[in-house]
Amino acid sequence: MVAYVARRLVFVVLVLVAVSMLVFGITALLPANVAYLILGSFATPEQVHALELKLGLTDPIWQQYLRWAGGFLSGNLGESTLMNRPIGPILAEAIGRSLMLTGVSFVLIAVIGVGLGIVAALRHGRPLDHGISVATYLGIAVPEFFWAIVVIVIFASWLGWLPASGYEPLSAGVWEWAKHLIAPTITLVFGHLAHVSRLTRSSMIEVMQSPYVTAARAKGLPERVVVLHHALRNALLPTITVLALDFGRLMGGIVVVETVFAYPGLGRLVVFSIQNRDLPTLQAAILVVAAIYAFANLLADLLYARFNPKIRFGRNVA
Amino acid sequence: MLAIDDLTVRYRTAAGEIEALSSVSLTVAKGSTLALVGESGSGKSTVALAAMGLLPPEARLPAGRILFDGQDILTMNAEERRRLRGSRIGLVFQDPFSVLNPSLRIGDQVGEGLIHHRGFTQERAFARAIELLDEVGIINPEAVAKAYPHELSGGMRQRALIAGALASEPELLILDEPTTALDVTIEAQILDLLESLRVRRGLTMLFISHNLGVVRRIADEVAVLYAGQIVEQGATEDVLQRPVHPYAKGLLAAIPRLGQKKGRLASIPGRLPDLRNPPTGCRFARRCPFATPDSEAPQVLRDIGARKVRCTQAEALRDIAWPVLGEDAPSSPVVRAADAAPAVTEPVVAVEGLTKRFVLSNGPLRFEGWRPMRTPVIISPVDDISLEVAAGEVLGLVGESGSGKTTLGRTILRLTEANSGTIRIAGETVSDKPQRALESMRRTAQIVFQNPDSSLNPRKTIRELLGRPIQRFGLAAPGDIPARVNALLDLVRLPAHYADRYAHQMSGGEKQRVGIARALATEPRFIVCDEPVSALDVSVQAAIVNLLADLRDRLGVAYLFISHDISIVAHLADRIAVMHRGKMVEIGSAEEVMRAPRHPYTIKLLSAVPRVDGPIHGRGPTAVSSEILSA
Repeated sequence: MVAYVARRLVFVVLVLVAVSMLVFGITALLPANVAYLILGSFATPEQVHALELKLGLTDPIWQQYLRWAGGFLSGNLGESTLMNRPIGPILAEAIGRSLMLTGVSFVLIAVIGVGLGIVAALRHGRPLDHGISVATYLGIAVPEFFWAIVVIVIFASWLGWLPASGYEPLSAGVWEWAKHLIAPTITLVFGHLAHVSRLTRSSMIEVMQSPYVTAARAKGLPERVVVLHHALRNALLPTITVLALDFGRLMGGIVVVETVFAYPGLGRLVVFSIQNRDLPTLQAAILVVAAIYAFANLLADLLYARFNPKIRFGRNVA
Repeated sequence: MLAIDDLTVRYRTAAGEIEALSSVSLTVAKGSTLALVGESGSGKSTVALAAMGLLPPEARLPAGRILFDGQDILTMNAEERRRLRGSRIGLVFQDPFSVLNPSLRIGDQVGEGLIHHRGFTQERAFARAIELLDEVGIINPEAVAKAYPHELSGGMRQRALIAGALASEPELLILDEPTTALDVTIEAQILDLLESLRVRRGLTMLFISHNLGVVRRIADEVAVLYAGQIVEQGATEDVLQRPVHPYAKGLLAAIPRLGQKKGRLASIPGRLPDLRNPPTGCRFARRCPFATPDSEAPQVLRDIGARKVRCTQAEALRDIAWPVLGEDAPSSPVVRAADAAPAVTEPVVAVEGLTKRFVLSNGPLRFEGWRPMRTPVIISPVDDISLEVAAGEVLGLVGESGSGKTTLGRTILRLTEANSGTIRIAGETVSDKPQRALESMRRTAQIVFQNPDSSLNPRKTIRELLGRPIQRFGLAAPGDIPARVNALLDLVRLPAHYADRYAHQMSGGEKQRVGIARALATEPRFIVCDEPVSALDVSVQAAIVNLLADLRDRLGVAYLFISHDISIVAHLADRIAVMHRGKMVEIGSAEEVMRAPRHPYTIKLLSAVPRVDGPIHGRGPTAVSSEILSA
């Protein structure tokens, strides 16, 4: 098991190195000169050249990359060209807010999605099953910004229960904080339910027909135990992997949702830095998203191993 | 203990309602074992599920009662039935490989009934599970209780399942084909275990099986089920030695017996009636050589002496044997094509020093000093094997699962690549050629697979399936292919109109005939038959074995006949090779190996085979005491 985790960790590091090269490479190719951006449009070519020398922008690209990556590792993420502040604190704040949003959404997606999947599987072919299918498909088929607007129209304009946008820190009171989280959470959850619930449903239907479920019934176990203890354990295996992938998708989803709800998180920071050509911030933000994605996948694999004894003990010798 | 009274079960399916059981009545007396015997589609598993109250929702029960200890299971509510299941009635299923939950520890699965029926704590249930595993003869019960199912062998899993069924000390044990998925030696151990448990615990058992030899070892009484009806029921030895109902006669005649040699096996022509609309008269009449106009009248189960038989002619048929019929007539097998041909000295297949190794895993990582080291785990399913097969000869290959039989067959045909050794087929050395140069070998040497369901492409008609190899090897002009296909179908005794069918429109036996025709399409001289009949029912199996024997005689084809069923191999083969853990432990003429096996493993294998005649094995000293107990 230790060897397995170690091997997986090495992979994660390799993935991150590759992503960092890609991110750095692409932003370096963009037709935007950092020195030019810092000095503004009235700078003379001499001034720009002087700053380029100072920032090391005339060095070969691999040297630039190593300097950037080295800074990253030592905790120095550089400075935002737009805000003239160190990127570290800006990013940390945005990550914190986004993790709050995605964390709550993720838990709800997992719980509601698996729950709906089980219910649909147990009632499969009946009206309730069809109802759940249609609802979750609607969520995934229509783009998030549409549902975001629907949520704003219903809860903010029509009912007036929730604010249409913005963010309040916890220090402003729990209710104030929660109020700003509800609408974006609903939007994110609705858009991501289908994956989890459909997959849980189909694997649950399959597992419920397996001989070991019949065997569990033959032992006279209560139906609740049969479903939750015997069937769900096996049916969740594929769902766990998809959940981790969904966490990655959520990181993409927040770009749209945070923008619509003006929620100052990582997604909005990415959009903001793109719009303002704030390359150092963009690079750092994207690398963080990639890291979250990679670790979510690692976690999924570990959970999968935890629940699937065949993987836990190394290669399946059958 | 258990009384099933006039039980009828129908299943609603897309194609209409199927009557799986029709007015079945059975009683199992306390402390006795009743065996329910039938082929696939007879409804025997439905009986087990009905008795447990586990029928699927599409089942309907228009009539009948199932009395367990005087209470009707069918009128109980779901909760009452649940309390009965696992606590007073235990069920052991057929396939130990899929019945255990892959993600729960063995000990938890064995003990969990106790938590829900007896209110045990988890720890106590686990401790009790260890005791139960010990009772069913598992050597290291603590370790096994902590293991997951995939870490155990088939026999151990079946023992664990039996332990689980026994956990709450049920009075009745229902066993649905408990040994079918196991090797004969393991099967013998499980049967011994069941017998000793029965004695020790005074268990009542309903034993469901298609294997009459197994039934003979374990049952006091046997009921033969055909198309949802009991056709004959009586004391085990009576029914097995002197069957009265024609179906029971046919079934018994179709079983190859160890030590009885040659000629052809009897088989039962035709197939099960359509259970959507079962005939009102005798359901077996259309396959019955003794049928008379009387058979069209409804048949009732009557007492004939000490047993019950569902046949109006029972008295008249009592001493008449099942005839060896039409297509199965011993087609005067004196002349074999291979014998008639000029004596060829060169064997059609010659294999020398063949070895195939698989790397199971790279082994755990360890360090010697600073050097990382791994010792790979390697198995050799084919370990230095040499054999020859003469033209027109049948070499039988027996061994248990995992002994390497299938790998050997595939390696000879280069479907799996060998690590070393030479293979010569029809005089051509094929072991050192690249795959693309094997054209002529692919024509001369063919294979028939175990499972026709997965080896016949479901999207192609039989005409396409059989026409393809003919076209590929240019064996007939395109215009002549249909005629060749018809000739092939005729060879395997399928009507010509089957050419337009798809695989799923045929029965298992018919599909296997197509599989054989496909192998014959290239006019091969050698065919590897890899368990060609193990997926088939006894009566169908006999017909396929006869067909293979006829084809050998007519065409002079040689077979490597791979099977775990020694009686069939002994029936068909000229010589027998025995494999054990990748090695060939014995090879010799069929008679010699059967009569005087030399290797201890062969002796063990032969003694484990359940037989329908001769002395009963397994019911040793324990059997005597069991009869005293159940009396």
